Amino acid sequence: MMRRLVTWGLCTAVLLLLSACVTSKVDEMVFNEPTEGIGDASVVILGRRHASDYDTEPEFVRCVGDYIQSRDGSIRVIEELEFLNSLYPWFEPRTAPLKPDNLRKMLTHDLVAKRLAELKTHYIIWIDGTTVRSGSGGTMSCAVGPGGGGCFGFSTWTNDSDYEATIWDFTELAEVGRVNTTATGQSYMPAVIVPIPIIAPVQGTACDGIAAQLLEYLSSEY
Amino acid sequence: MLCLLSACGPTQVQVQGNFPSPLLDPLPITLGVWYSQEFRDHAFFDEAKGPGDSEWVVRTGQAQVQMWDALLNGMFESIVYLDTAPGNDIAPAGIDGILVPAIDELQYAIPTHTNIKVYEIWMRYRFNLLDPQGQPIAEWVMSSYGKTPTAFLQSDEQAVNLAAVMALRDAGAHFATGFQRVPVVEPWLLQHGVLTRAAPVAAP
Repeated sequence: MMRRLVTWGLCTAVLLLLSACVTSKVDEMVFNEPTEGIGDASVVILGRRHASDYDTEPEFVRCVGDYIQSRDGSIRVIEELEFLNSLYPWFEPRTAPLKPDNLRKMLTHDLVAKRLAELKTHYIIWIDGTTVRSGSGGTMSCAVGPGGGGCFGFSTWTNDSDYEATIWDFTELAEVGRVNTTATGQSYMPAVIVPIPIIAPVQGTACDGIAAQLLEYLSSEY
Repeated sequence: MLCLLSACGPTQVQVQGNFPSPLLDPLPITLGVWYSQEFRDHAFFDEAKGPGDSEWVVRTGQAQVQMWDALLNGMFESIVYLDTAPGNDIAPAGIDGILVPAIDELQYAIPTHTNIKVYEIWMRYRFNLLDPQGQPIAEWVMSSYGKTPTAFLQSDEQAVNLAAVMALRDAGAHFATGFQRVPVVEPWLLQHGVLTRAAPVAAP
């Protein structure tokens, strides 16, 4: 029993030593920070989906919203799909405002203005960016036979995240801040019979970086 | 062995999604709508081009009807669904015109085709606007596009479904924000007292 525990302990220690690292950087530029928080108003976080070769991942947008709401329960973050459905077709990739000035035009439609007032939307946060695999190397071969199967080799790959959050103030109809985050990490997968992936949490680190800055902006507690 | 054999059949996607009603002031028009059987059963077939490729069947008909029902009911004051094809000179009572949507073309791309990590669906619609007797008033085409990024634990089928739902939502958005600015439709709208200036304007 003791020997098994020691083996497990050693394995865990080796895995921790081998855990992949992520380097991240966050840049922030904000104006008119709400010193008292946003009160009973709400925030919506939307992904930009205009680029032809990438799409801001919905799970990244969810991750940022969850981070903010889980740390300050007084901030109401409207779920992306709920907001898009309740304002359809005004925030689809084809019709979504690209500049705060376009909001003014959109608010001339009484129904849109009324719905936004019902939702008490104070801030719209647009997130634009993606996570890509920028390089990979190594070799791994796997085989299956009547007696079983297994893999042998080593592979590695690099993921890069680059996201920018733009904060629009609905009451001012103006941009009030930008937060940019980049993260890079290398993942590894050694295989001796069983492949062991050691994944660098690149997207998660980028999410935490951008969400922490947004939380600092929106919350009176941080 | 069963798993390996199952890979021989075409990859099938029955497009499923929820489509919201548009947030628009309904136009004061009673519109007849005719969905042909071809439209209701619309499916896209793509044969494998090489030994590494798979065949695809993307069935969009059911979702098309669902989306256009939600959109048109929100866009127009009243909708009358026709039981028979227009053009038989039997005018349904009280309608101002008949809209007949059709799908001209559908194309799709998956990451293995393009080396970018998005799934894409592109559709081209052809609309016919007819008078109550079935005589043509206007004909125009409209395209729509939807894409969705790759995601962990998401199959090709789920991603193509999501891209198709995005393309359908885009079709609805394009139609809703552009209908009053279709040049061949404008005279008909003026004739029925719908002001062109009141058209919903899409954000640039």
